[in-house]
Amino acid sequence: MFTLSWFASFGFSVLRLGTPLIFAGLAAVISKKAGMMNMALEGMMLCAALAGVIFAGFSGNVWVGLLGAVIVGCIVGWVIAFASLSGMTDLYLTCIAVNLAASGGTVFVMYVLTGEKSTTSAAIRAFTVPSINIPLIENIPLIGPMISGHNILTYLAFLSVFVVWMFLYRTRLGLRLRAVGENPDAAASVGINVKTVGYISFLISGILCGFGGAFMSMGWVSFFMKNMVNGRGYIGLSASNIADGNPVGSAIAAVFFGFCDATATTLKSQGGFPSEFIEMIPYGATIIALVVISSIRISRQRKIEKGTA
Amino acid sequence: MPKEVLRMDGITKIYGNGFVANKNITFWLYEGEILGLVGENGAGKTTLMKVLFGHETPQSGEVFLDGQPVKILNTLDAISKGIGMVHQHFMLIPSLTVAENVVLGVEPMKNGLFDFKKAVAMTQEVADKYDFNIDPMAKIQDLSVGQMQKVEIMKVLIKGAKIIIMDEPTAVLTPQETDELFEQLMLLKQHGHSIIFISHKLEEVKRICARITVLRHGYCLGSYDLKDMDESDISRLMVGRDVVLKIDKEDPKPGKPVVHIKNLVKINAAGKRVLDDVSIDIHEGEVVGIAGVEGNGQGDLSDVLSGMGVYSSGVVEVNGTDIKGRTVRQIRDLGLAYIPEDRMEYGCAGDMSIRDNIIADRYFRKEYRKGFFLNQKHIDEIVDRYIQEFEIACDDKSQPVRMLSGGNIQKVVVAREFTSGSNFILANQPTRGIDVGAAEMIRKTIVKKSREEGTATLLISADLNEVLECSDRLLVMRKGRVVAAFPKANQVSEELLGEYMLGIKTMTQEEMEGLL
Amino acid sequence: MNRTRRVETMVELLRIVVAIAIAYAVALVTLFAVSEEPLYIIQQFILGPVSSVRRIGSIVNLAIPFTFTGLCFCFMYAVNKFNLSGEGIFMFAGCISTYVAINLGEGLPAPLMILVLLVVGALVGVVITMIPAWLDIKFNANIVVVSLMLNSMLVFLSTYVLRYKMRDASISSLGSLPLPDNASIPTIFGAFRIQAGLFFAVIAVALVAVLFFKTVFGYKMRVVGSNPLFAKASGINMAGTIVCAQLIGGALAGIGGTTEILANYDRYKWIASTQHGFDGLMVAVLARRNPLLVPVAALLLAYIRIGADVVNSKGDIPIDFITVIQGIIILMVAADEFMGRFKKKLIYKAAQENLAHEKKEEVVAPATEGKEE
Repeated sequence: MFTLSWFASFGFSVLRLGTPLIFAGLAAVISKKAGMMNMALEGMMLCAALAGVIFAGFSGNVWVGLLGAVIVGCIVGWVIAFASLSGMTDLYLTCIAVNLAASGGTVFVMYVLTGEKSTTSAAIRAFTVPSINIPLIENIPLIGPMISGHNILTYLAFLSVFVVWMFLYRTRLGLRLRAVGENPDAAASVGINVKTVGYISFLISGILCGFGGAFMSMGWVSFFMKNMVNGRGYIGLSASNIADGNPVGSAIAAVFFGFCDATATTLKSQGGFPSEFIEMIPYGATIIALVVISSIRISRQRKIEKGTA
Repeated sequence: MPKEVLRMDGITKIYGNGFVANKNITFWLYEGEILGLVGENGAGKTTLMKVLFGHETPQSGEVFLDGQPVKILNTLDAISKGIGMVHQHFMLIPSLTVAENVVLGVEPMKNGLFDFKKAVAMTQEVADKYDFNIDPMAKIQDLSVGQMQKVEIMKVLIKGAKIIIMDEPTAVLTPQETDELFEQLMLLKQHGHSIIFISHKLEEVKRICARITVLRHGYCLGSYDLKDMDESDISRLMVGRDVVLKIDKEDPKPGKPVVHIKNLVKINAAGKRVLDDVSIDIHEGEVVGIAGVEGNGQGDLSDVLSGMGVYSSGVVEVNGTDIKGRTVRQIRDLGLAYIPEDRMEYGCAGDMSIRDNIIADRYFRKEYRKGFFLNQKHIDEIVDRYIQEFEIACDDKSQPVRMLSGGNIQKVVVAREFTSGSNFILANQPTRGIDVGAAEMIRKTIVKKSREEGTATLLISADLNEVLECSDRLLVMRKGRVVAAFPKANQVSEELLGEYMLGIKTMTQEEMEGLL
Repeated sequence: MNRTRRVETMVELLRIVVAIAIAYAVALVTLFAVSEEPLYIIQQFILGPVSSVRRIGSIVNLAIPFTFTGLCFCFMYAVNKFNLSGEGIFMFAGCISTYVAINLGEGLPAPLMILVLLVVGALVGVVITMIPAWLDIKFNANIVVVSLMLNSMLVFLSTYVLRYKMRDASISSLGSLPLPDNASIPTIFGAFRIQAGLFFAVIAVALVAVLFFKTVFGYKMRVVGSNPLFAKASGINMAGTIVCAQLIGGALAGIGGTTEILANYDRYKWIASTQHGFDGLMVAVLARRNPLLVPVAALLLAYIRIGADVVNSKGDIPIDFITVIQGIIILMVAADEFMGRFKKKLIYKAAQENLAHEKKEEVVAPATEGKEE
C-alpha cells in the first residue's frame, strides 16, 4: 500500500486537513500577541462555515459566500470583544458562552432558513471555492500531486502565515498590538487606545476564522453540517500555544495536527480496529502535544535555573 | 506676573468604589516653572494628574490651557494638547528596543510599514538635544533603572510636550541619579517646558521647586512660595502635624542567629545570576536593612527566603533548619513572617473580608478550627482585637479588603504577620505607598518587636530614609551581590549609600568581615 | 463606605434579574419572528412548562442533573479553573454505571445497588477530572483545551463501551442491555412523577454549602480562587486545594450522570454529548458560584428548557435556539460592566452626598499656617 502515489495523496490530505487548523492557529496567534486567549475560534469558524454556505447558496456566487463567511467571523469577533472588553466579562466565560451559542445558533438559523436540522446538503445548492494546479510544480513526482491542486483557501492559509508575520513585526498596528499585549498600561500611557486594539485583534481573528470556517463548508465538503468544526478551533488554539505565539511555529504545529487527522482518516479506511479509538486520535494528539511541549519547556527552565545548562 | 499655562478648576473625582480622591481642587501652573505638587500618599496627587492626562474623567471641574477652557477627552487628546506624563511605575515594553518604546504612539511610517531606521534617528535626535546618553537600539530589559527613567522622559519629549508631569520620579533613584535627573529638569525648564514635580521627599522639592501646591485628604490646601518655608513647614502642611522621621531606639543586643544564608546563588529563567554568592546571618533582636537600586536581587532574596521562589545553590537555614525544598507553609512553621512587596498581589485577597485575610496563615491551627470546621467564634474575637490594636479603619471585620485605603490594607497585612508568633520577619517594602501615620506605626512596631520580643528582621526597602532609620546593621546589594556592609545604619549618609548602590564604590570581602 | 457595599449587592441582584428578563425577551421575540402562529407558540413557551402536573414534575426532574453539574462547576469556578470535563463525565459516568449495573445483575438489594452505582459514578468523575486538573498543575497545559478534547474522546469511549461491551442486539437502535430493576431509582410524589434522585440533589446541595462556607477546606478554596498568589504567600497548599476542589466537582458530575441514567432510563442509549455539563456551567454562573442558589438557577433553566421542549414538539422549532439564550444570559450575568454605569452613578451619588456633609476644615483641621500666596 505504501506506494509513491499513496504518499502523495497522504501528503495532500495532511495539507488539506491542516488548512483550517492553520487559520485557527493564526487567529489564536493574533489574539495571543494582543495579550488575550481566544478560545472562541470554534464558534467563530462554525458561524462562518454556515454563513459561507448560506451566502453562496442564496447569491449563487461562491465569492459572495466567502465574503459572507469572513464578515460573520468578524461579527462574532466583535461580539466577543464587546462582551469582554466593553462589558468586562471574563474572557474565558465569554468564549465558552459564544461557542455554546454558536453550536445551537447555527442549527437554529439553518432550520429557520432551510427547515433542516442537521445538514444543508439537500436544501442549499452546493458551492466550493475552486482548486488550482500550480504550473511546473504539478509535474514534479511526489511533490507535485502533494502540493498542487489544492483549494485556493489552502494556499491562502500558507500565505496568511507570511502576512500575519509581516503584520505583527513590520507594521505600526502590529507594533502597537504587541505593545498592548505585553504592557497595556504602557501602551495606554502613550495614547494608544487599548480597547480599540483589542477590538481590532478580535476582528482579525474573525477574518482568519472566517476563511477557516469557509474552508470547512466550501472546500473540505460542500455543505454545512451540525457541529462540523468538531474541536478544530481548540486544536488551532493549541497549535498557537505550542509555538508560544509564533506564527510560523504555530503553522507547523497545525500541519502536524493535520497529519494526525490524516492518519486517523487513513486508519479508519483500513478497518479492523474499532473506529471509536481512531476518532480519538486528533484529540489525544492535541493533549499529548501540549503536555510534551510544555514538559520540554519546564525541564529546560529547570536546567537553566540549576545552572547546569 | 508670569503666564499661566494651565489651570484646573474645581476638580472632583470619585472612583467606582465610592472613594473620593479629589475634592473640588483648584490648581495652576506658570510657564517655565517647576511646581512641586506635594501631599501624603493617598492625598490625591496622582489622581489629579491622571485627570489632567486624560486617564480619568472627573465628575466635575474644568481645565484651562493657556487661558482657554479645554476638554481633555483621553490620553491621546492630552498628548496632542502638549501634556506629557512620566508615571510613577515605568510604562515601558521590556522586549522592545529603546527607539520602539520612544516612538510608540507617534511611529514613523514608510510605504505603509513601520520605519525602524527613522525611529532610531528620531530617538537619537532627542537624546542629543537634551543630552541623554542612551543607545536607541538597546532593549529596555537590559537597561538600568536610571536609564529607563530617561527613556520615559524621552517618550514625553518626542511627542512635543510643553507641560510635563513627573510622578515621583526619584522614588527609585539613587541620590546621584537624582542629581543627574535634576540637571536634566533644569535644562528642560530652560527650554521653556513647564514641569509638575510630584514628590513627598521634601528636601528634593525644596531643592528644585520655587512654589508648591499642597493636597491633603483629597483637598487642596493652597499654593505656597517656598522662599520662606523650611521642610518642617511643608510637612506640617502635608500631614497636619509634625512628622518625626527619627525613631528612638536603644542599641540592639543580638542573640543567636535565626537566619543563616551561605553562598546563596539564584539563576533566573533568563539564565542571569540574580543572586550571586550571598551570605548573610540575621540574629535575634536585630533589624538588618538591605538597600539597593530596585532589581538588584533584593526581590529574589525575599522570594527565596519566603519560599515563593526556588534557588540554584547555597544554604539557607531558618532557626537551624535548611529550607531547601520546603513549602511556604513549612518555612512559616519554622518561624517566618512575610510582608510582601506588593500587597494587592501577594499580601491579601481584595475581594475577601478583613477577617478571612487575617486568618490566612493560621486557619489550620487547633484554636482556629473544630475538626473540619472553622472556629468562627474564636476567629471573630481575634480579628476584632487586631482591628482595634492595629487601628484598622473599617466598617467591620466582614468588609472586603479592597474597599479600604492603601494604609489600612497594609495594616491588615501587618496585623496578620506581626501576630503570627514567628521570630523572623521578612519585610519587603513594608511602607511603600501608604500614609505617614500607618508607615510610622509599622516602622515603630518592627523596631519594638526586635527589642522587646527578640525578633530577627530583614528589612528590604527602596526608601533610603526608612532603611537608615529602622535598621541596626545595613547592607547594600548590587547586581545580586552584597557590596557593602555597615555596622550602624544611622551613621551612614545617603550619598555614601548611593555610591555603593551605583557601584562607584565596592567593599572587599575583608572590609565586610564580621558584618554579614 | 457601607453604602457602597449596599449599592454593590443591590445592583448585583438586579443585574441577574434584568439579564434573565432580557434573555427571555430575546427568546420571545425570536419565537415571535420565526413561528407561524406566534401567539400560540409563545403561550406554550411560557405556560407550557406549568400546564400540567406531569410537566411540573419534568421541570423538577430536569433540574436534578442541572443541580449536580451546577454544583460541579461551583467547585471549578471557586478555584478559578474552567475545567469543563463535567460535560464528558456526565455521559461517561452514566455509561459506566450502566455497565457495572448490568454486570452486577439482580443480586444486590436495591438501596445498596444504587449506592454502589453512585459511588461508581463519583469515582468515574474523580478519575476523569484528575486528567485535566493534573496536567494543568503539573504541565500548565491549557485546562479548557484539555478538558474539551477529553470530552470529545469520552463521547467515543462511551460509544465504544456501548457498542462492544453492553449492546442489546435484540433492539434495532443502538442501546445497552436493560438496567436491572434493583438499579432503578423510583419515582415519588405520585402524579408529579418526580424521581427520588431529588433527595440526593438536596443532600448534595446542603453538604456542598456547608463545605463552602463552614469548613477549613472551603475557606482554603475561597482564598485560592480569590487570589492564588496570596494563597501561596500565606502558605496555603495551592496545588492541592485546586486539584481537590476539581475532583469533588468531578465526583458530583459523575453522581449526576449516574442518577440521571438510573432514574429516567431503562437502558443506556446516549450516543452524543448530553450538554448537561455546559448547562451546569450556566447554572453556576447564574448562581454566582453560591451553592445555595444552584437549585434555584437549575429550576429556572429547567423551566426554560421544558418550555423549549414543548415548543419543539408543538411548533417544530428546534430546541437548539435555547443555547443562544443561555449564551446571552452567561454573558450578561458575568459582565461586570453590565449596568456598571448605573451602579457607578448610585455610588457617585452616595459619595457626593457624603462629601457635602463633610467639612474641609474638619478633615484637614490642624496647623495650616503656611503663608498663602
